[in-house]
Amino acid sequence: MMSSMSEIVKNLKTLVKKLEIVEIDEREVKIEIPCEKTLNVLSFLKGNGYSHLSILTAVDWIEENKFEIVYVLFSWENGGKFVVSTKIDRKKAKFVSVMHLWPIARFYERELHEFFGIQFEGNDDMRPLFLENWDSLPPLRKDFDPLEYSKEKFPDREYIKDVIYEAKVIRGDLNG
Amino acid sequence: MANHERNIWEKIADQLRSKSLWMLHYCTGCGAIELPPSMTSRFDMERFGMGPMATPRQADILFITGYLSAKTLRRVIYTYEQMPEPKYVIGFGSCTLNGGIYYDSYATINRLDYYIPVDLYIAGCMPRPEALLEAFNELMKMIRKGEANGWKQYKENYDWYKNNQIRSLGEVLVHDEFHE
Repeated sequence: MMSSMSEIVKNLKTLVKKLEIVEIDEREVKIEIPCEKTLNVLSFLKGNGYSHLSILTAVDWIEENKFEIVYVLFSWENGGKFVVSTKIDRKKAKFVSVMHLWPIARFYERELHEFFGIQFEGNDDMRPLFLENWDSLPPLRKDFDPLEYSKEKFPDREYIKDVIYEAKVIRGDLNG
Repeated sequence: MANHERNIWEKIADQLRSKSLWMLHYCTGCGAIELPPSMTSRFDMERFGMGPMATPRQADILFITGYLSAKTLRRVIYTYEQMPEPKYVIGFGSCTLNGGIYYDSYATINRLDYYIPVDLYIAGCMPRPEALLEAFNELMKMIRKGEANGWKQYKENYDWYKNNQIRSLGEVLVHDEFHE
């Protein structure tokens, strides 16, 4: 960890009690925080030079029943990167918007709403961004089965069952 | 479809058509990368009398390279219906054939001829420019023999194609800032 980054981490520890730090790299540190402290930590990091929101994304941890929301903050002064991650309940997928800190977050949040079904309070623009006429679960959730959806919606070509097909059944690649 | 009996004028027209084909390439997939070498000096598509065309209203061939998502399929259907007859479609790469590596994707279609008639497929992932030129030659032969009848099939089985399109897309009409 670079010295300037470890100083910021030291200051963060006084701000947030429950804080987990994973050092990924010399220039990349992951901070895991409880969700109610997220805005404090983000605005603190923004004030300390980490002013570029590289990406805002989410991970679906379906066994834990949690969504992990990940903010990647980058500093143009020293090239350091903070990965701020927080976990929210999967059933009540609702979080606060960071549009007042980074206006570009509007589009990241729209995307997360479309692909994970996470609501962001404070962001009034929740129109779908990429998909048209979507009629199923949000597609990047782990309980969504893309193969099943594809089979139902986009029919496959049917091939004549030839020798190669039989060979595959014998070898056990397919169960005929 | 049974071979449609052409009269002498149609036969002559088909001969002439096959010598001057303008191609509209719909390059959203990775197959687009095989087109520049086919068009430019290395393989030189123009020696066959083919050239790229910028607008569907003056093109003969719709050339679809690679995967199509449900969103782009709407635009493809729109483009195909804008083209004047006779029109031919070439599906390039295994994605248009059976989905290719995107067979289980929630966003991409699995076979193109379910939605619009395809005269010729080029299999492979990726087919090389040689395969592409072979396909163009084959298409020209098919046009001369009167076998490239996809556009007639589309008119005859319009309901079937429309039903398939609606089944997969929900709505074929495009709603965005360019189409309203």
